[in-house]
Amino acid sequence: MKRTFQHPAEPKTGKKYWRSVEELADTPKFREWLSREFPAGAAELEMDGLSRRSFVQLMGASLALAGLGFSGCRRPEIHFAALSKSVEWSIPGKALYYTSAMPTRTGAVPLVVTTYDGRPTKIEGNPLHPASNGATTLHAQASILDLYNPDRSKIFLENGKESDRQKFDAYLAGLLPKLAASAGAGLAFLADVNNSPTRERLKQEILKKYPQAKWAVHDPTGSLQAEAVATAFGPGVTLTPQIEKADVIVALDSDFLGLDSESTGYTRQFAARRKPPKEGGSSMNRLYVVENRYTLTGGMADHRLRLKASQIPALTVKLAQAVANLTGNNFAVTLAEIPLPVDQQWIDECAADLVSAKGKSLIFVGPRQPVATQILGFAINSFLGNIGQTITGFTQAVSQQIPLPELVKAIQQKAVSTLFILESNPVYTAPVDLKFDDSMKSVTDVVHLGLRKDETALVSKWHVPGTHYLESWSDALGPDGTYVPVQPMIQPLFGGLSANDVLAAVAGLKIPQGAEVVKETFAKVKETAGSTADWSSFLRNGYLENSAPSPAALTFSGPLAAAVSPPAEGVEVVFPPDYKIQDGSYIDNGWLQELPDPITKLTWDNAALMSRKMADKLGIGRPTHSDEQHLESEMIKITVEGRSLEVPAMVAPGHADDSITLPLGYGHAEGATGKIGRGSGFNAYQLVASAASYFAVATVEKTGKTYQLAITQEHNQMEGRAVVREATLEHFEEKPEFAKTMFMDSHSPPNISLYKNPDYTSPERKSPEQWGMVIDLNSCVGCNACVIACQAENNIPIVGKEQVINNREMHWLRIDRYFASAEDEHNETEPEMVMQPLGCQQCENAPCETVCPVNATVHSDDGLNVMVYNRCIGTRYCANNCPFKVRRFNFFNYNERPLEKMKIGPLPESSGLYFGPLTKKGTEDLIKMQKNPNVTVRIRGVMEKCTYCIQRIEEGRIQSRVKAGASDNLKIPTDSIQSACQQACAAEAITFGDLKDPDSRVAKLQDNPRRYRLLEYLNVQTRTSYLARLRNPNPKMPGAGKVADIYPDEHAEGHDSKDQHQGEGTHH
Amino acid sequence: MPNLFPRWTNRLPIKVVTAAVVLGALVSAAVAYFFTPKYTQVGYQPDQPVPFQHDLHVKQLGMDCRYCHSNVEVSAASNIPTAQTCMNCHSQIQKNNPKLAQLRKAWETGEPLPWVKIHYVPDYAYFNHSVHVNRGVSCVSCHGNVDKMEVVYKDQPQSMGWCLDCHRDPAKHVRPTEEVFNLDWKPSGDNPVKAQRELGSQLVKQWKIHPPENCSGCHR
Repeated sequence: MKRTFQHPAEPKTGKKYWRSVEELADTPKFREWLSREFPAGAAELEMDGLSRRSFVQLMGASLALAGLGFSGCRRPEIHFAALSKSVEWSIPGKALYYTSAMPTRTGAVPLVVTTYDGRPTKIEGNPLHPASNGATTLHAQASILDLYNPDRSKIFLENGKESDRQKFDAYLAGLLPKLAASAGAGLAFLADVNNSPTRERLKQEILKKYPQAKWAVHDPTGSLQAEAVATAFGPGVTLTPQIEKADVIVALDSDFLGLDSESTGYTRQFAARRKPPKEGGSSMNRLYVVENRYTLTGGMADHRLRLKASQIPALTVKLAQAVANLTGNNFAVTLAEIPLPVDQQWIDECAADLVSAKGKSLIFVGPRQPVATQILGFAINSFLGNIGQTITGFTQAVSQQIPLPELVKAIQQKAVSTLFILESNPVYTAPVDLKFDDSMKSVTDVVHLGLRKDETALVSKWHVPGTHYLESWSDALGPDGTYVPVQPMIQPLFGGLSANDVLAAVAGLKIPQGAEVVKETFAKVKETAGSTADWSSFLRNGYLENSAPSPAALTFSGPLAAAVSPPAEGVEVVFPPDYKIQDGSYIDNGWLQELPDPITKLTWDNAALMSRKMADKLGIGRPTHSDEQHLESEMIKITVEGRSLEVPAMVAPGHADDSITLPLGYGHAEGATGKIGRGSGFNAYQLVASAASYFAVATVEKTGKTYQLAITQEHNQMEGRAVVREATLEHFEEKPEFAKTMFMDSHSPPNISLYKNPDYTSPERKSPEQWGMVIDLNSCVGCNACVIACQAENNIPIVGKEQVINNREMHWLRIDRYFASAEDEHNETEPEMVMQPLGCQQCENAPCETVCPVNATVHSDDGLNVMVYNRCIGTRYCANNCPFKVRRFNFFNYNERPLEKMKIGPLPESSGLYFGPLTKKGTEDLIKMQKNPNVTVRIRGVMEKCTYCIQRIEEGRIQSRVKAGASDNLKIPTDSIQSACQQACAAEAITFGDLKDPDSRVAKLQDNPRRYRLLEYLNVQTRTSYLARLRNPNPKMPGAGKVADIYPDEHAEGHDSKDQHQGEGTHH
Repeated sequence: MPNLFPRWTNRLPIKVVTAAVVLGALVSAAVAYFFTPKYTQVGYQPDQPVPFQHDLHVKQLGMDCRYCHSNVEVSAASNIPTAQTCMNCHSQIQKNNPKLAQLRKAWETGEPLPWVKIHYVPDYAYFNHSVHVNRGVSCVSCHGNVDKMEVVYKDQPQSMGWCLDCHRDPAKHVRPTEEVFNLDWKPSGDNPVKAQRELGSQLVKQWKIHPPENCSGCHR
């Protein structure tokens, strides 16, 4: 008797979880597309014009030629290259760790960098730093690839022609006396935002020597926060919100869990307050979000309101009014009667909730919103008595600087003759109305220093190749103001100069050797902080103890009557930085380019996001599957004040109507990027004016053209099988085990198997450890740091846009983003969003193992589903039989062949991958330097997947054995092994460890009532389990009943009989 | 009665025999190659850039393995010494010996000496020295009596089957940890094989030695 399992049909009632608008519409073409393992055509050789026969002929010929020498028959002589001089600390084959920090605009991310034989290979957070839990941000993880970018700037350029260091030094030597003679008249600097004390010190030296010099700062992300804080609280203040202390949080167009936080602290603090009270937390916080597009913060919201970004200033006024009325504060700002499409009850109840949490609430206003609106946000905080409670801050010395428009004005008045541009790309990022590139032509000497040969480098008199932060000494202030070192662990790979080097040279100091310039700053900072730490303990800890400035007494003094810009009529277009490449400086970073956007799941491009209603208005249909079944998106033309840009349109669920979001950073000029960034996306900076740097009024029209976008949201569908589970806090408290009884799990029959299920807990098992993982959906915000951490740790290649379209992305760990909407409105307007990280589930009864004809995927004693690359012959049966679709197949030699488009002889233009042996084989040396030496770099034709970081497990096991020596104490210290994704996670959503060790965190989580396993009814016995998501809605809010309206688990009651339901087992 | 078998079948027997002979020859050739030391290159003894004599340094001068291979107890890799290590002595001893010219050049120029690799772990496999030497597996078990070699050669096949032989039955090789670097050590007793078996089994039990037999133990 054979039991064929039928997956349960989706419930006819209740909530539906979906991932793309195509899935929601459920067209027959979509069904067909979905049912294929890979999209149509992907399985065939795609080289239009070149027949399969002629291709085979070519391949045969090249193979025959290659074989003539029989070079493959003799084993080559392999050499060791032992160093000539022994290197201190360095042990071949062992990792060496250095503390450092990644400078960001709002405070450095403290890091520990892993190096092997002198090569930095992986970046982790510094767990010793008080404001870090050892986690990292997405960009900190990916930044190591910028160090090894083969297309980074390597040579000095003089007027676009190759030059060298000697000539540049000679040029500087000639320039400096002239500057000194004129006391710096005509000298100007333009830099990105940076809080390095050493840079500040050098700047002061320069201003002392050249009193007339100008120092300008340009923030390409358009943040106005510094200005707003300075206006409201006085100059030099930096705010440090205490999210952990806030019970109610309102985010008004603020993505404080994503874009607007460049460190890990906000996410860590927020996640700490999402634990339900039963699990040891205090009470769970509540988050209200108002925004025009879905952001990561919006996904975590308990109540989300979609509103045009240009209407948020008006909403802020109304909210301030409502709060002021309740708290009895005087609030005199009036607003012209503008129709705001917001339910007044929403505002009133939100305000009431805030007031009920007086002193324990927090308002965030987006840093790109007008200064007046941000000050209003601080006003609400001050009405609520949050200042000094949930909002603290510290004061720093104010640094003299001017904004970019003032510098441009000076240039236009011919007051600048020498301009140093440090790590900034104003030709690309400056608002168009400033006409920076035209103005720059009148400056005789422009010296540009940057990591990439970007737009500004191409038109400057001198371009100096910059150094990566892992190559040169500097320092920074952490998000809490602690003093941290930016320590290099490798010499500059291409002999470039750092910004500090150039500043020191201009200041007339010797170009610093090593750390001396930072040591000098250190001595001063140490003195001010009254610290006794010496230099080596500073480097060892990665921060200076007790150097965090003491909290300042904040007094809100903001001018409340400030004019609030009225809501834009018609269509607005909003320009946020991109989640992945930020302001465009990461355009050549292949990991970030290929990472699916956390919300849209778009790779390699940007697109104009809009609501379905807006798309309908423009006459944009659903994206169609073209003949090759690839999605073709329609192009639109966006015009802002006479400047226009054609971009592909993309419908984004949850987007505000009459609003378009167009991320910045893409569409760089030809020649201003490397291979990775070439031709990627569309330049939104072309539409940004200095007066309207965040949102602008636009006219939009359809162009009739189409464009192919590489979107991964439809890959690997789950088809509504209760994969993500969520409920409200209230429901959870009533019924803590709700997740265990949801949907199928409430009434599946006990699993019957012909074979005995393997019992990995039995004492006869040789391995004393049994590995498992628990992922808390309640904490995960979906920042994607884990995905890049996995990519960096496990040598995962990128595959290029074309291959992503063919579903061949290689990420071992992906984050599935589900939208959820209630049954009665299966629409795309106001869905909720849930994130779910998904890697190999390490099934104990793994379906992949039973179908492998060569035993290439087998189970180990410690419960892992291991993948043996050298046995794999590439049948891909395992991938087909995997219910989670987490196995990845290496279709081409992604590591060794060029991904970019090329043309060879008479053959048609195609991705280099398709030319096989006709292209140059081999990985660039620079890329090789990043690879983790403990993980195989897989070749073509091999299946690969997550192994819970087997290399880290084995290293932990080996270390315990080495330590045991001639004894039997083999215990691996509890929770000492971390998987790469776990280590990177700021929200501490991922827990990995030994299930057999009762003290381990993962073992303790096994009893958590929210715990559930995926597809339990298949009896696959996954080792990874999930904790269900909880939302904490305010019952008085409009629409509260729909929040996290759960699956129809009513099945649990009264349906114990097994035969009533479809989808259980049918007996044959 | 029609012919049951078509005409082409007349030659079938001879074809079958020929095919069988060819196949047999191929199998014998494959066995002769892959199952013998020639494939695993046992005895591989390349010329080294500097004719370093292990027997001279270890046996006559009494040096410990770990003077040069200093990280063998802590690292996965047992390091090849740097030129600096050699020059610790050879800056004073034999300092004009023409055989050491290459070494002196390496020391002066910083160019690494191109030592030829004899033992190497295939792709996809990872070997860790530290865990073996710390748990009582001697150098001699895998590398032979290097202390008696004038020119080092490969002594053991170091194939996967050979690794597994010991991983399945470590008692054959485990010895007290203080004797790991004493390549001449033999367990006391009349019959060394039996004595090793007894002592080995005892140590394996006492130290709870369970070498991994899972793929993931070596393949990552």
